[in-house]
Amino acid sequence: MPSRSRALKDVLWALALVGLVAGVFRMWFGLGATTHMSDAVPWGLWKVLNMVAGVALSTSGFTIGFLVYVLRLEQFRKYVKPAILLAFLGYGCSMLALLFDIGLPHRFWHPIVMWNEHSFLFEVFWCVLLYFTVTLIELSPSVLEQTRARRIGRWLHRLAFGVVIVGISLSSLHHSSLGSLFLVTPVRLHELWYTSWLPFLFIVSAMGAGMMMLVLVRIVYARLYDPEPVFGPASSGINGIVCQIPGISVDSGGVPERGPEMVRLSKLAIIAASLLGATLALKVVDVARRGAWTGLGQGQWEAWLFGVELLIGLALPIVLVAIPRTRRSPYGLGVASASAAAGLAINRLNVGIFGYLRDAGSFYIPSLTEWAVSVGVVAAAGLAFLFFVENCSIFDERSVVARQPGESLTVLFERWSHVWYAALMSGVHRVTLIAVLVIPLAWILLYPPYSGDNIPTVPVQAATGLDINRATLWLNSDRKGVEVTFAHLDHQNRLGKDSACHLCHHVSMPNDRSTPCSRCHRDMLSATPIFNHAHHEQAVMEKERLSGWHATNRTCGYCHPPGQAKTSDNAKDCFDCHKTDMWLTSAPDSTINLSDACAFREAMHRTCIPCHKDKAQEVKRPNLAECYTCHTSLTPRQLVTGPVTANLER
Amino acid sequence: MTPAILIDVTRCTGCERCVAACIKRNELDPLRAETDRATGVDGLSANRWSTIVQVDRGRFARKSCMHCEEPSCVSACLVGGLTKTDAGPVVYDDSKCIGCRYCMLACPFHIPRYEWDETIPYVRKCDMCFERLQDGQKPACVEACPNEALLFGDRNDLLGVARDRINRDPQYKNHVWGETEFGGTSVLYVSDVDLAGLGWPEHLDNPISALTDPLIHMTPVIGMTVAFGSLGLSWIIRRRMTRASEADGEDGEHDAKS
Repeated sequence: MPSRSRALKDVLWALALVGLVAGVFRMWFGLGATTHMSDAVPWGLWKVLNMVAGVALSTSGFTIGFLVYVLRLEQFRKYVKPAILLAFLGYGCSMLALLFDIGLPHRFWHPIVMWNEHSFLFEVFWCVLLYFTVTLIELSPSVLEQTRARRIGRWLHRLAFGVVIVGISLSSLHHSSLGSLFLVTPVRLHELWYTSWLPFLFIVSAMGAGMMMLVLVRIVYARLYDPEPVFGPASSGINGIVCQIPGISVDSGGVPERGPEMVRLSKLAIIAASLLGATLALKVVDVARRGAWTGLGQGQWEAWLFGVELLIGLALPIVLVAIPRTRRSPYGLGVASASAAAGLAINRLNVGIFGYLRDAGSFYIPSLTEWAVSVGVVAAAGLAFLFFVENCSIFDERSVVARQPGESLTVLFERWSHVWYAALMSGVHRVTLIAVLVIPLAWILLYPPYSGDNIPTVPVQAATGLDINRATLWLNSDRKGVEVTFAHLDHQNRLGKDSACHLCHHVSMPNDRSTPCSRCHRDMLSATPIFNHAHHEQAVMEKERLSGWHATNRTCGYCHPPGQAKTSDNAKDCFDCHKTDMWLTSAPDSTINLSDACAFREAMHRTCIPCHKDKAQEVKRPNLAECYTCHTSLTPRQLVTGPVTANLER
Repeated sequence: MTPAILIDVTRCTGCERCVAACIKRNELDPLRAETDRATGVDGLSANRWSTIVQVDRGRFARKSCMHCEEPSCVSACLVGGLTKTDAGPVVYDDSKCIGCRYCMLACPFHIPRYEWDETIPYVRKCDMCFERLQDGQKPACVEACPNEALLFGDRNDLLGVARDRINRDPQYKNHVWGETEFGGTSVLYVSDVDLAGLGWPEHLDNPISALTDPLIHMTPVIGMTVAFGSLGLSWIIRRRMTRASEADGEDGEHDAKS
């Protein structure tokens, strides 16, 4: 096996495994924790890049079929199999990415039985599903001919013409419908991209860029496995790569070096470039027709994106293909096709994500998980591509890996299983090594952000008096066994007897002097709202003797300033009314918020620890403020690693 | 009768009693509903299906699902999980939803919200208290409004009430929001100030489904045209190629003879 494809495979394996870890996180923690999609940006990277752009770049399956089977351009017959493989994998990886994207992946089959024929998404779903089946039928002869089931393959091959026609029909529908998906957003999508021509623009640009994608794949395949037909006879060695600068490198005869395949590839590129040219013309006419140039002139950032999309996706490839020298050079054509594919992806991202951001009023940068899954799915498709290329005759008459005729399917798949089966049996193997390194690394890199926000509710139980005078209290507030025996009377006596209550009971309920902690701090781990709004309405109404139809509604102005939204921030301070009946340890300031009480654990620690620290210095007993001073029920190990210290910092 | 809600912005004091009633009626988490108002884009979230927005100085308006007459979300949903009921409300069937979030993209008012924090998330939005309507009750928000800023009734009657108020009092703007917007909605607004603060899109008179429906009805036609077009084209080309090769053959024979 060439070392170049081995290095590429290692990279693809690593990316696919990172994607796998990210995919597991997505399924485990949910969309909100792992992605940066939100109510403002409901469609993110997976849907737009993997589905809309991924499907668009797989058009070669039907365009090459059209050229060969309908227009009878026999010279492109060699590209039918690669194009079908590309389409099969492109659609497969879009559907895989969609499984991660939709909120309820276990219901992916719902549109098969639940129909809404008014929805373009429904049409896209059905066409994509049917077309995927079509590519499967088209691809299966190439796979089956490697096995004993060759006869089924030949039988399927006879259906080829009919299947190709069905494929063309389905493709023309869903590639335009992918554009029609965005027709429902006339008021949200930026005017540079929203147009009633979206379906035409989408299908024409997808046909051009899809062909360019096939050109790119052909060149990459040549670079990896078989450089001669594309790069010319002299380039099989390392020297060939170095001297192959487009247009400059010449062999002794003064003619740029290239293989015989380049003639055919250039022709395909010309067809693709004319489709891209048609896209460019349609776009310019469309923008002029709607007078959307204003957006360009105002220097909005969308205008820059629009320009980048036109430049990379359309102008650069057209120019590169138009110049004969770059067109005939494999590198020039490689750059042209890669830029066309990238430009198409940028266009779809613009229409599907960036064009909405101004309307949504927020920005969207895909999270690490989104990137990892998105790239990982494509990497997995790349691996599958290499597998098919090596084991079936896709680009050439015979597969890369020599095969005895008549080998059974199991042998075919045994090569596939080599990857893990042999690896586990025979010790350290490349891919196992990659997996061992990459999976934990991905886990570590991706994991931390998702632990927050999900604080469980743990109601607090009131302290229990251990003796009749409640001189000693038993605090085991969540009844989880972490308990503290609190000598209440002792603390009271040391701090100043009856005048000391306010030192700990920092805020009391009205007409109370020592409200128990658990009355307000009602949850162990999260804050509790403690302000009873309905009660206050009633109280104000009675106090002010408000009467009439909607007496309680007239109470709003008592606390909330008129003409502003009624929130706790701008409401009247509690102590404006509760001047005498409520106690506060210090003068009321803006930092204390009486609408919410902090978590019980936080409250206890904040109350006890600072005081204990002060006393520890005062009485020269340094251990007075240690965890185990109070938490006698915890083992030293729990105190060091347990939840208490970890959360205290937070 | 088409049930509808008329919101009179001049009467709304922004007390948020309707929001509280909505939270109680739909058993939403009050704490999350409160925090989401601050963190959300416009106050709405999966935990807060309706909210009060300050549209001008001292003027408030309730923001919630508009229950369009021809809803974009209903035509967008690929499994038919959203339906415009005969009784008026646009309701969501969470047993069908696959979570594609196309409805969120399609709604011109940005109403459907997603339970992003859940592992098994659903779309959430106001359903005009559909079950209460079936029991012959008013929606919870209308019942809770202490100032009659929200009125519930037949859409045509309410349009009459709105027109009546506008004619009687010159302070009102001469426009019933929701009468024609996006093909008409079941939630109507009258106001003495501009309602741009609600974050609505610019005005379109036709429903959004009018943009997509004609196209989607052409789908079978396009598919068949392309299929038979390709077949015909292929037949013509094959025939011409056969003829050309026959002609070549004849020429060849002729050449051979000569």
